[in-house]
Amino acid sequence: MTVNVNRRRLLAGLAAVLVAPPLLAAEARRTVRVLTAYPDAVVSRFEAAFEAAHPEYRLQVVWRMPHDAQPYLEQPGQNGVDVFWSASPRVFSALARSSRLQKLNLDTTGLPDRIGNAPLADPDGYTRCTEMAGYGFVVNPGALAGLGLPAPADWSDLADARYAGRIALPIPARVGFAPPMVEIVLQALGWQAGWALWSEIAGNSVLLDRNSTFVTDEVASGRLPVGLSIDFFVASAIANGAPVRFDYPRHGGINPAQVALPAEAPNPDGGRAFAQFVLSEAGQRMLAHPDIRKLPVRPSVYADLPAAYYNPFVAASLGAFDYDGETARTRLALSAALFEQVFVADHAEHSALWRRLHAAEAAGKDVAAARRALTTMPMVATAAADPALRGLFQGRLEGSAGEPASRVELAWRTEAAARRAEADTLLKGVGA
Amino acid sequence: MKLHHLAGGLAALCLAAGALASDPVTVADAGRDAYSQPFPGLTDTERDHFFRGRSLFRQSWVVSPARDTQIDGLGPLYNRLACVSCHARNGRGFAPDRPGERMQTMLLRLSVPGIDAHGGPLPHPAYGGQFNEEGIPGVPGEGRAETAWSETEVTLAGGEVVRLRQPAFSFSELAYGPLDPVLVSARIGQPVFGMGLLDAVSAEELDRMAAEAKPDGVTGRVNRVWDAAAGRAVAGRLGYKANMANLRQQIAGAMLGDLGITSPLFGEQNCSPVQAECRQAPDGGHPELTAEQLDDLEFYLAHLAVPQRRNADDPQVGQGERLFAASGCTACHRPLVVTGEHPKYPRLAQRAIAPYSDLLVHDLGEGLADHRPDFLANGREWRTAPLWGIGLAGLIGERVGYLHDGRARNLLEAVLWHGGEAAPAQARFTALTPAERAAVLAFLGSL
Repeated sequence: MTVNVNRRRLLAGLAAVLVAPPLLAAEARRTVRVLTAYPDAVVSRFEAAFEAAHPEYRLQVVWRMPHDAQPYLEQPGQNGVDVFWSASPRVFSALARSSRLQKLNLDTTGLPDRIGNAPLADPDGYTRCTEMAGYGFVVNPGALAGLGLPAPADWSDLADARYAGRIALPIPARVGFAPPMVEIVLQALGWQAGWALWSEIAGNSVLLDRNSTFVTDEVASGRLPVGLSIDFFVASAIANGAPVRFDYPRHGGINPAQVALPAEAPNPDGGRAFAQFVLSEAGQRMLAHPDIRKLPVRPSVYADLPAAYYNPFVAASLGAFDYDGETARTRLALSAALFEQVFVADHAEHSALWRRLHAAEAAGKDVAAARRALTTMPMVATAAADPALRGLFQGRLEGSAGEPASRVELAWRTEAAARRAEADTLLKGVGA
Repeated sequence: MKLHHLAGGLAALCLAAGALASDPVTVADAGRDAYSQPFPGLTDTERDHFFRGRSLFRQSWVVSPARDTQIDGLGPLYNRLACVSCHARNGRGFAPDRPGERMQTMLLRLSVPGIDAHGGPLPHPAYGGQFNEEGIPGVPGEGRAETAWSETEVTLAGGEVVRLRQPAFSFSELAYGPLDPVLVSARIGQPVFGMGLLDAVSAEELDRMAAEAKPDGVTGRVNRVWDAAAGRAVAGRLGYKANMANLRQQIAGAMLGDLGITSPLFGEQNCSPVQAECRQAPDGGHPELTAEQLDDLEFYLAHLAVPQRRNADDPQVGQGERLFAASGCTACHRPLVVTGEHPKYPRLAQRAIAPYSDLLVHDLGEGLADHRPDFLANGREWRTAPLWGIGLAGLIGERVGYLHDGRARNLLEAVLWHGGEAAPAQARFTALTPAERAAVLAFLGSL
């Protein structure tokens, strides 16, 4: 700098003292290797906050989707992972069952063990929930008003023919967060009525694949007035200015994220320090950041959050979370695969039939038989309970879409095609 | 006449002659997604392309071997896991504030005296062209870099005192032998919207701007850099020293340098001869980023729209805009640049844009000098930073830095660091009354 400027150089050492605490010797920092599938917006913030709170540790983040994390932790030495932090109850459960975790031994003061019907802690002490996410509807109030449509209050409202082509539906077998949505409805209504409702909702929906547009993109832009989603994507979009709203349905469900220590963690103290930090008041408050927007598991944190911040503990006390994720866990992959073959694989045909059926019903025609054909699944609930059948899908976890369809899946698709052909014939029979 | 009116008038003149495209490349979004919107009017096919690129830009990469074979191959040496790690919400990064704080959105370029076979910086024989603090399991990271700050006080006309800080870097835990002698230059993540439009500014336009007579002894020149795909030297447009030939190479270079991901442009892993574990580590395919994935990323970044100006009719903003020009800032921070043809994306071609940059490198004085040449740009030369969208930086990132190494914590500090060719303009700015300086800052805030 040159003219008109008076400058005074401070002693560099003095300035350093002014702006920074004393530096801990670099060699004193031990590595804590974290295996996670959280996006960078979460990882970077917890990394910075944890290292500031614990200068004795340095985080090394290893990123893997849950379906890839499980085999990683099953390898010899568990790849040196000190702490596993992700949102996949199935993987945590499988690791605990195969003795690949050690007890957490955390201070859990102020942390409840359950919310509604969902456990937040493993009774054996191997895992603990670190945050929650709920399922429901993202709506664009302006777009809905423009179409003269009401906002849905529960899943069954989405069967309304006026929603045809207006619902953004993330494909359960391909989009990581989506499988529990299927099970929430099945638990709430039962197998037969639940699938019947899904058939109709799928017929009304526009399908969204992995790595494509987001539900919030479609709804915020007004291209679609309503979408099915997990809450944090929407809450984060709202916090960043998107003109949408998230409504929790009467029949809701919670998907918990968890933390655990691998049995062979080389630095279990470091892993435990990280887990404790995530569960601390400071860590739980970070979940409310506009780019994260998860639901804390520490109830005391909600007192300091904005009034509009959804409090699942209050909702659970009113019965909003009767969904039992533990029971659903072993069937998630199967129901997502069934959804794929019956509603997604031939979606255009499926949707077209529902439009014809809705039109015929509106015209007062008797199309009950066609409705039965479109809402009958290739499998009954007892068959879906068969452990051997569930075992076929055991390896299909969040994000593992793309595997070739098995013989049983192809049979489902064939049977679904036959039901559609039957419905087509029945509709033609009444001139629909 | 206000500059944006002048720019609009020139653009309209060109449009009247049928020369320029008129469909929009800007968005009115002034929220935290303002840097993340596609050009309005993309077709459904283009939007799919855009969203695939967006997914990849946000993707955290995975250590090989992995089941997710499309996103594996991280490292063996790397800085961060994802593109968004350094460009959160497509915005700018920041420097560590305290010793011991990791470089989350900043990296250190390394070289030794001399030039490589293509005229670029000569990589360090052991540590390469960039300090990679991280290594995948089994591969030691290169070491740890620390940032320490020294501060200087500056008193402006009217008595306002500003504290400016200057970084110094030190290294520890070096895993591959001594680092010295070495040339070091820090880089924070840059905003990534509008890059396609900058990529479409023709070499002829750059030469024309360089040749134009400018006030205050301002010159500016075109950096000549290596185009890896074409195998020849071309005009540089992107990067803090205009040291990158085009957007595709910028992406491929960052994928390799920052994430350790090979691509069709850079197929060799980033391991030096002495980094044995790195050389023996498993990879994620040949290359790890496929040509299709590189296409997706390129399409995404090329079609990220520019936020529209806000409050342009506010009297204070108007005053600031006039003072910005009268102080001489627009000699380099040009409010109107015209793009040329683009070989791949017609939406970028023949447009009047307002980047507030000439994309030329200028001597900015000793205060900002990194003493590390990069192709033709010497240690005192830096590309004129585009200012479009800069008024939203603090909204989009809760923590942001300005200038190449994030030393400036706000726009006032950034202006005060200007020296060299910019010294007369900076001096005029510091001599303004406090109200006038506030007006200039309000103008910058409107961009």
